[in-house]
Amino acid sequence: MKRLLALVALLLVVSGLTAQEPFNAAGRGAHGANGVVATAKPEASQVGIDILKKGGNAVDAAIGAAFALGVLEPDTNGIGGGGFMILRLATMKEAVVIDFREVAPAASKPDMFKLDERGRILNHAGTDGGLSVGVPGDVAGLLHALDTFGSKKLTRAQILQPAIHMATQGISVTANLDKNIKDSLEKINAFPACAELFLQEGLPYEIGEKIKNPDLARTLTIIAKKGVEGFYKGEIAAKIAAEVKKQGGILTVQDLATYAIKVRKPVQGTYRGYTILSVPPASSGGTHLIELLNVMETFDLKALGQQSPATAHRWSEAMKLVFADRAKYMADTDFATVPLAGLVSKAYARELAARISPKESMTAPLPGNPAQYESGSTTHLSVMDKDGNMVSITKSIGLLFGSGVLVPGTGILLNDHMSDFMPKPGSVNSIEPGKRPLSSISPSLILDPKGKSFMTIGSPGATRIFTTVAQVISNILDFGMPLQAAISAPRLAQPHTGNLSLEARLPAATQKALGTLGHKLTLRGDWDPYFGGVQAVLYDSKTRQLVGGADPRRDGQAIAY
Amino acid sequence: MRQAAPIVCTLLLLGAGTAKAQGFNLKAPIATQPTLVTGVGQSADIEMVKVLLNRGKVVFKADPQAKAGALAATGSKSLVLVIGGSSKGLGAAGISAEVDIERAKGLVAEARKLGLKIIGLHVGGEGRRGQMSDKFITGAVPLCDYVIVVATGNKDGLFNQLCGKGRIPLDSVEKIANAGAPLLKAFK
Repeated sequence: MKRLLALVALLLVVSGLTAQEPFNAAGRGAHGANGVVATAKPEASQVGIDILKKGGNAVDAAIGAAFALGVLEPDTNGIGGGGFMILRLATMKEAVVIDFREVAPAASKPDMFKLDERGRILNHAGTDGGLSVGVPGDVAGLLHALDTFGSKKLTRAQILQPAIHMATQGISVTANLDKNIKDSLEKINAFPACAELFLQEGLPYEIGEKIKNPDLARTLTIIAKKGVEGFYKGEIAAKIAAEVKKQGGILTVQDLATYAIKVRKPVQGTYRGYTILSVPPASSGGTHLIELLNVMETFDLKALGQQSPATAHRWSEAMKLVFADRAKYMADTDFATVPLAGLVSKAYARELAARISPKESMTAPLPGNPAQYESGSTTHLSVMDKDGNMVSITKSIGLLFGSGVLVPGTGILLNDHMSDFMPKPGSVNSIEPGKRPLSSISPSLILDPKGKSFMTIGSPGATRIFTTVAQVISNILDFGMPLQAAISAPRLAQPHTGNLSLEARLPAATQKALGTLGHKLTLRGDWDPYFGGVQAVLYDSKTRQLVGGADPRRDGQAIAY
Repeated sequence: MRQAAPIVCTLLLLGAGTAKAQGFNLKAPIATQPTLVTGVGQSADIEMVKVLLNRGKVVFKADPQAKAGALAATGSKSLVLVIGGSSKGLGAAGISAEVDIERAKGLVAEARKLGLKIIGLHVGGEGRRGQMSDKFITGAVPLCDYVIVVATGNKDGLFNQLCGKGRIPLDSVEKIANAGAPLLKAFK
């Protein structure tokens, strides 16, 4: 009888735990000697590993995984979007950034969106529908990387085949996708083609059911055969332009035909002797990642304590200062002058750090409205191989389900990244034809103090991207945490105005002390996707193993071999 | 052993057993059409309930932020609360969780004055649970005359507890689409 009661008690405990901890927080990491692929989906990570096993390099693996992610995470990224990539082959002296961010169509104007009396875009036109669509860069960016830096041991068709197969066979609805679909029902229902793909007679698919996208498989097959031209010219381009126009937009076939990626030099800094390489504008992320780390480097965080009030307070204050700079200075450097050198200088960071009082929370140094850049979706993947090749890609279609505009007959869901511009004239980030909207995306590479490949890292999460990446880097370099633990540790996020957001599992004593220092807190979920989804790979020189970590806040999974 | 058996059964019902779908417990229709559908927590789950009502040809109006003062003017004869929190929805509405809960309580109080029956639905499953959603669930469920829940949202038996062991009829369904049947049966 005692055994029976014990069994029942165990059942009850397990039942209770399941209800409180609905996802698998363990088992996200992996390590191996030959290569690690860490992406937001286990199936995409497996695609990358399979490519490495066939003799491909880290770039081949990353591009195969990136196309697969576009199919597996249609709500956050895909060939209708854009992004940034940073890579460094072991044979290269310097890393390169491939900027495949969307650009504003040629007919764009600074005042193209109608605003209400508070400066907000009317009728969600900035995020839903044709006007919100920027010229996609995803296909151009991924194929440029493959053609230029791939091993040439695998064909383009081989790299794209897994994604084509997944689109044909269907993708499983996970708890994460289920929630995103339910959260976006209003947008999905507003666009019949989108509703037809993602809903069954008006209701979401159940968890575990499959969503098939044969039109996307066909489009990817065309890209596999024809390359960049298969997307930017001909049948697919014509269908994209026609649908955008039908949905009230201005993107044309000419905009698609003239789209060009930018190859840029990384923005560079150091943290505790390690070199940080990240993306320059049109993303603000890399620059502000370094600026934020520079400010935090002035503090002895190890002595202040991990997750202590003193450390959390300094993160919060530093983030306020960095976001103040972001609002004032950041834009596409092809259209505006941005003081990049100053923003990433150690001297400037010391000046900022001196403004931080250890005893009280400061009032936001500059007014602003960071909420307009909110975009909680996006995806990130990191790859390292045994040769020390490193690739870090963050790509996005903007808000969940992008513009909602799904191009009939192609399976392509288009972005809404025009919403990342300031919707009125007079800002460095105002809309101009051909301009790239400001981003926070910050795929990054880290070299050890000897200049050798150490880590590749990045995250989705809108304006929380670089603050999240900075905290994970600090967890590793300041507190010596293993990679997966560093990713799983509770996070905080502070815009330059408003409340300090915390994951609720941050110690209660820290929360209370932050309140005493004058912080107004917003407690979010224990494992809240609001704080991003970090995927990272590092080389552990002690064990000579590549170690991958992936974020349990979403469907992240690292796979190694 | 004989004494222990009922205890074991009770424990199983309270714990793992609560995850199981239950039969329809509402014995007779309670609500009159037209109905007013509103959100409690401003999640997009209201869209799913609109689909279910349309499928059943129930006459309704939907206002995610319906207020007490405007209830009488809608001519509604019953009230449907779609329960579950969304930070995105609350943000878009420009309100806090606390403000939305107070709005819902005020609306329910007005509905009571007008003699309207109140049906609560939680169709978001496990993804619509957690600290924020639970605020809305614990605030709204005890105010309902009838509650329908998709089973994965009730793994811990919270809805059974809030419905007071049968005081408020509670029906659990396995899938969202299955929520249509008990919902339609609730209308005269």
